[in-house]
Amino acid sequence: MKPSQQQEIISRHSLLWLLIINAVILLPLYDKLTPWTMAICGICLVWRYGIFMGKVAKPPRVLVTSLALASALTLALVTSKIGLLNGLINLLILGYSLKYIETRDRRDVRIVVIVGYILIAITLLGQQSFYFSTLLIVIAAINTCVLVSLYREDVKLYETARIGFILIIQSLPLAALLFLVFPRLPPLWLMPQMKTAQTGLSDEVSFGEIGRLTRSAALAFRVKFDGTPPSNHQLYWRALVLEDYDGQTWTQNESIKTSEANNLASSSMPAATGPWLNYSVIAQKSNQHWLFGLDVAFSDTADIIQLPDYRLYSTKSLTQTFRYSVKSFPSVPMDITLTDNVRNINLRLPELSNPRTHKLAKSFAGRYPNPVKRLNAMMNYFTEQAYFYTLTPPPVGPQQIDDFLLENKAGFCVHYASALTVMARASGIPARMVTGYQGGEWNKQAQYFSIYQYMAHAWVEVWLENRGWIRLDPTSMIAPERILEGFDGYFQGGDSYFIDSPFSTLRLRDYPLLNELRQTLASIDFYWSVWVLGFDSNKQEQVLHKLLGKITTEKLAFFMLSSLALIMLVIAYSAGLLRFSPDKDKISSAYLRVCRLLDKKGVSRRLEQGPIDFCHSVESQLPVIAKDFSLLTQYYIALKYRTLTPSGRKSTTKLFIRLSRQLQLKLIRL
Amino acid sequence: MMNRANSTKTTKPWRPSLWWRSWLARRLPPSKQVTLAHKSIFILPTGFGLLWISLILLLFILGTNYQNNLIIGLSFLLVSLFNTCIIYSYKNLAGLSLSSSSPPQAYAGDTLIFPIKLSSKQVQFEVLLSYANNQVNVLKVIKEEPQVSLLQFNNLSRGRMFPGRLKIESRYPLGLCRAWSHIDLDNQLIVFASPIESQSELSSLATDDISHTLDRGIHVQGVDEFKGLRQHIPGESLKQVAWKQLAQGRGMLSKEFQQPQGQPLWLTLDNLTSPDIEERISKLTWSIDKLSERGHIFGLVIGQHKIPPADGEGHRIVCQQSIALLPEREEQIK
Repeated sequence: MKPSQQQEIISRHSLLWLLIINAVILLPLYDKLTPWTMAICGICLVWRYGIFMGKVAKPPRVLVTSLALASALTLALVTSKIGLLNGLINLLILGYSLKYIETRDRRDVRIVVIVGYILIAITLLGQQSFYFSTLLIVIAAINTCVLVSLYREDVKLYETARIGFILIIQSLPLAALLFLVFPRLPPLWLMPQMKTAQTGLSDEVSFGEIGRLTRSAALAFRVKFDGTPPSNHQLYWRALVLEDYDGQTWTQNESIKTSEANNLASSSMPAATGPWLNYSVIAQKSNQHWLFGLDVAFSDTADIIQLPDYRLYSTKSLTQTFRYSVKSFPSVPMDITLTDNVRNINLRLPELSNPRTHKLAKSFAGRYPNPVKRLNAMMNYFTEQAYFYTLTPPPVGPQQIDDFLLENKAGFCVHYASALTVMARASGIPARMVTGYQGGEWNKQAQYFSIYQYMAHAWVEVWLENRGWIRLDPTSMIAPERILEGFDGYFQGGDSYFIDSPFSTLRLRDYPLLNELRQTLASIDFYWSVWVLGFDSNKQEQVLHKLLGKITTEKLAFFMLSSLALIMLVIAYSAGLLRFSPDKDKISSAYLRVCRLLDKKGVSRRLEQGPIDFCHSVESQLPVIAKDFSLLTQYYIALKYRTLTPSGRKSTTKLFIRLSRQLQLKLIRL
Repeated sequence: MMNRANSTKTTKPWRPSLWWRSWLARRLPPSKQVTLAHKSIFILPTGFGLLWISLILLLFILGTNYQNNLIIGLSFLLVSLFNTCIIYSYKNLAGLSLSSSSPPQAYAGDTLIFPIKLSSKQVQFEVLLSYANNQVNVLKVIKEEPQVSLLQFNNLSRGRMFPGRLKIESRYPLGLCRAWSHIDLDNQLIVFASPIESQSELSSLATDDISHTLDRGIHVQGVDEFKGLRQHIPGESLKQVAWKQLAQGRGMLSKEFQQPQGQPLWLTLDNLTSPDIEERISKLTWSIDKLSERGHIFGLVIGQHKIPPADGEGHRIVCQQSIALLPEREEQIK
């Protein structure tokens, strides 16, 4: 029989928990809500608060239904703009809020809780850092508390919270075990992807571009090297190669774009020889496709291809943290031979632009017929003249390179790289612009590099006979510290990346102790990324192999069952189910143990026999132990029936226990 | 339906339910006092628990399709939470002690009340108690101090009633699992026949040869027979104080005495197979109550069976029970 209707009505205590859960579930989703959804959620929350305070009644059903219809319709209209997945998420959130406002009985609460868990999962689609995940576990625990509150009505908030959190904490070990053992499956079918803003580098660069990134303190990716990592000035993380220039903007060449669009890997890759570097990269989500690698880089991670310009490219956009392993060969040349087509692309310059730069290039070509010497001279030109490295360069006119190179003489990496590429091309050397990141912040605790957005950089690759594409960085001529020590060696954060992110934890770098703490927290998040977010079937096999040796089904099943049993026992114990009541009276039990042994030896104690009486019968029947047993009996009587001082009791107990043990041994040997 | 002896004869249960009942009877035999333990607690997921499992599947598929380890982890956490709840729902019934005490008198057609005393070493929350097809009692908290829950049982017929197995249910802490037990507390009640007012029955007595003693077959306040003890009223004669009981520490009590007046009445029920027997039983029930209420001394003759005249509550109950237990007529059973 169903519990009565009265029983199903929810208490005020549950209403309070509902208020809390609605706020904490919706807050982390703020960036996915359309303004419309946000408004309706706000109204529902305020209304619910009104109901809780007894100020307003439950909304009429008609109102809720019409609100639901209206919001579904609006969502349907904007879905094309915000993307299918976002539309669905907003629909779910609206349903959650509207169901929430008309919650009346336990059934409604349960549905709200179930949808709450789904919303928590959706939040995890976008946010995956360790600290955020911990926060979401807390939110999941609060969601569990709502269910507990249905059964505990007239208690304090704290009591319900305690039960809910204990349940979650006790559930964590089994969840971890399942996470470790349960096989990872490939995607079962294709899901709609989140349509969100792309972050990080863009595929076209103009003078303002990298400057925008230097204002961001967001993490771009992290790198862990096997063995000793290279020094800072070798860390040129190639992300994009830009070959087309229209006088304003550098863009990728059409042929590369076609390769990217069709996921065409480069067909002719050089044989990998010479020294190599092994490392793994954990890229933050960027919603872009390009990846980061040093020099000629190869990756055997699935869904990664290598493009003809030696870049690594992911066939899927990075909608979440993505880990891949790379093998780089610094000494392998790129493109020993150059096709005419590529040569032409990398010599092309817009007509009638930057005439003064062209003139300068021509004079270099006249003075230095050898391309290597010519390039050296061009590089040295930046140090000989009074060039100045700044993140806030003066504005330039339509002839950008001319204005920068010959008038302003102040700019940052993009300016110098553009100028050098244009000069090289104008003097007949194939050259191209490469963007990516330079350097990295070393985390001593976890031994990895963090590369932040503000480390975005632009440099030049020139093609030389028999040597292929060679990296040239004009910035290193003007600001060598920028390259040797990294961005932070040259700039103060206050000038650049703190402008847009005033609350970044990177600010703690000025305080050694706090910086240590920041690094520790960062390394926890790093391990989280490697071991939890990046826990794939390879890692799983690796860990299980370490735990169990050679993995067999029987071994795995045994491991699983025994761990499960252990976990269940621990939960049952901590829930208060298994209480082994220890024998409180150890004196009696010790005496009785001796008596039992005596019984086996044929001296049994009759029911009516007291200790003294029994002692007499033992003395007569087993004279061997008579002395010991009478002493034991004396102690026993003293402990049981005499009032003793605490210290006297303690010492007597000690003597008694020791004697009883000796006596037991003697009896066994007898 | 509730009559244990008749249950197999009156209803024809389908085989699995019969098997279940006999299995229960073997596993949990009737007992006045039961403490629930692993042998007597069953746990199965509720409807919400099944919904929870589909939520887990949904999250796992979502996590797999997006290759998102955290969502997969969340689904594992929910699996684990379910597992933890099984242990907790077991804990919420384990160690619960139930005992039945004698139920109050009732007439056919009344809702019967079966008092059940509950206590538990560990605190337990929201335990539901009910007899099949009857109102559910909700106990919000059960602690070590015993508490009594009065269980209702709808009943129409007279005679010996067994309420059947008591269902004890709990969904604490999350409502994912239902822990329950069906225990037989070996409680029974002889339900009196439903009384029908019949002045005629009394007046017919009055016109009998004993009519002149009608107003005299009664006990009045007096000195001959010890009646009982009652609370001492200050100012009363100290001669009547029960000193022995005072010495026993039971407080100041007064002895009451009474004396019988007149001849006892005889109530008779014969011709037990006549069609109007039920009506006559009901009328007799009413008469017994009425006479007892007035303090009459009366005897009862049912067919060959004779209950000697007496008065008081004990006598009333004996009389009522013996007519309540008269077998019902054959055609009514069918």
